[in-house]
Amino acid sequence: MQPLANVTPLKPPPRAGAIEVKNVGQIFKTSTQDVVALDSVSLEIKPGRFVVLVGPSGCGKSTLLMMMAGLRQQTTGTITINGAPIPKPDPDRVGVVFQEASLFPWLTAEENVEFPLALRGVAKAERRAKAQEALKLVGLDGFGKRHPHELSGGMKQRVSIARGLVQDPPVLLMDEPFAALDEQTRMTMGDELLRIWSATGKTVVFVTHSLTEAVYLADEVIVMSARPGRIVDHLQVPLPRPRTYEMLSGDAFGTLRDRIWRHIRKSA
Amino acid sequence: MSAKTLRHLIVIGLIALWEILPRTGLIPELFLPSLSSTLRAGWNEAPEYGHALAVTLYEVAISMAIACGGGILLGAIVGSLPRPRVLIMPMVSSLYAVPLVILYPVFTVWLGIGTESKIAFASIYGFLPTMLATAAGIQTIDPQLILAARSMGATMSQRLVRVIIPAAIPTVLSGLRVGGALVIVGVVVSEMLISSAGIGYLISRYRTILDSPHVFAGVLLVLFMAMAFNALIKWIERKAAIWQTGTRAGQSAADDVGSGAVQPAT
Ligand SMILES: Nc1ncnc2c1ncn2[C@@H]1O[C@H](COP(=O)(O)OP(=O)(O)OP(=O)(O)O)[C@@H](O)[C@H]1O
Ligand SMILES: [Mg+2]
Repeated sequence: MQPLANVTPLKPPPRAGAIEVKNVGQIFKTSTQDVVALDSVSLEIKPGRFVVLVGPSGCGKSTLLMMMAGLRQQTTGTITINGAPIPKPDPDRVGVVFQEASLFPWLTAEENVEFPLALRGVAKAERRAKAQEALKLVGLDGFGKRHPHELSGGMKQRVSIARGLVQDPPVLLMDEPFAALDEQTRMTMGDELLRIWSATGKTVVFVTHSLTEAVYLADEVIVMSARPGRIVDHLQVPLPRPRTYEMLSGDAFGTLRDRIWRHIRKSA
Repeated sequence: MSAKTLRHLIVIGLIALWEILPRTGLIPELFLPSLSSTLRAGWNEAPEYGHALAVTLYEVAISMAIACGGGILLGAIVGSLPRPRVLIMPMVSSLYAVPLVILYPVFTVWLGIGTESKIAFASIYGFLPTMLATAAGIQTIDPQLILAARSMGATMSQRLVRVIIPAAIPTVLSGLRVGGALVIVGVVVSEMLISSAGIGYLISRYRTILDSPHVFAGVLLVLFMAMAFNALIKWIERKAAIWQTGTRAGQSAADDVGSGAVQPAT
């Protein structure tokens, strides 16, 4: 038998990164009325899965993501990541990528990526090395010294992904990360994201309004209804990987996209 | 020809005119003494001007510290907390429309005609724009940046030091530019009105005896002071705000302040 150390797995085994959402509700108290944004949402996400969240505008997708990131506390129910609750943001477990790249304009790309490490007092040399590695992973080798205004929209979003990955969290949450990009950039970014995902084996929860993007990227698609947000469907995408452009025009693809669209049309 | 060389040429031209026009008699020396006689007048009374400059600089320095320090501090508080903002901002904004110079005689009654009344007046004068700009700078920070920092585990103080302060710097600097300039105006004007020392006082005293060269020597000194201050701010801006081009929020707020929205009535 071969010694184990010589075996390099094609894809690293899925690591910790399980997400469990149980009976979660969110009520926003405003001066005029109480808004029920989410009503008893339950879902389970297995480690290493690529899960896409879709639903009509205002159904609570961002709210759900905020709660998974520990940026907001649910009114009722429990959320666990790696089996433990998340009362406040924990970059060791969860990285977040927002729609606007949210880069600090006064820092260079590499300083932006180093930011979460700097917050925790990681030594300069180690920070730099990790940032270089993350920038390389997102295909931005050699762009580290640029400021955000010197980067294109797609490149900014790559930096933002690198920043989410730099602490190597098992879970990556992405709230409409490509919504502000043009269609061509968006397609390449999708492929890039799939490449990064399969190279790192992270659990990804990805919010989008594009049904094509949803089916193209996902292992599973979770469909939510309009306010108050509930889960109306949780479907598996059996398309093989790697995904290719040709699949977009296939029957299987169309059937899945239609099924999601019917749910959304009904609830909107 | 670049804009810069053109600017230099214009300045040189004006300086030359200053010398030529009075000398040829086109303008009487009483209205505009030539540059050389102005410089000579200043040189002959160098100790007197030196002493006056020291007094004025001292007043400017203290007022600047109070106006800018206090303005930034209070602006930061008012800008970041919603309740004080609602209470104070309308008051400050309407106060801003009042020509504050009417307060100066009151200050001399309270504090005497020495440096204290000048410092009090100039401090308040420069304080308002600094505070308004700082409050605006904090308010216009993109909330997404703070959210992103929070998602990366930034504590309250880390968010302040690493996000809020750097994000507010461009707007605060533009406030300092206006505020600092007003401090200089405030000190010189109050010296000219009621006082017994300083450059403003010298200008005003020589004016009463119609000694134009000595008046203009004082004017020249004030001019140099303002230019030095401007250079200082430019230097700080270069140091602190390489990234300005990148922010919409910072930029538009800076434009608001720069375009005289915060220019008070004198
Ligand atoms: N801070 C808040 N206060 C009050 N109501 C809020 C707040 N945040 C969100 N909401 C409400 O909660 C609901 C869900 O909002 P959320 O942003 O999660 O929706 P979304 O699904 O992400 O929408 P979109 O697709 O447009 O991004 C909306 O109806 C919104 O108006
Ligand atoms: Mg949203």
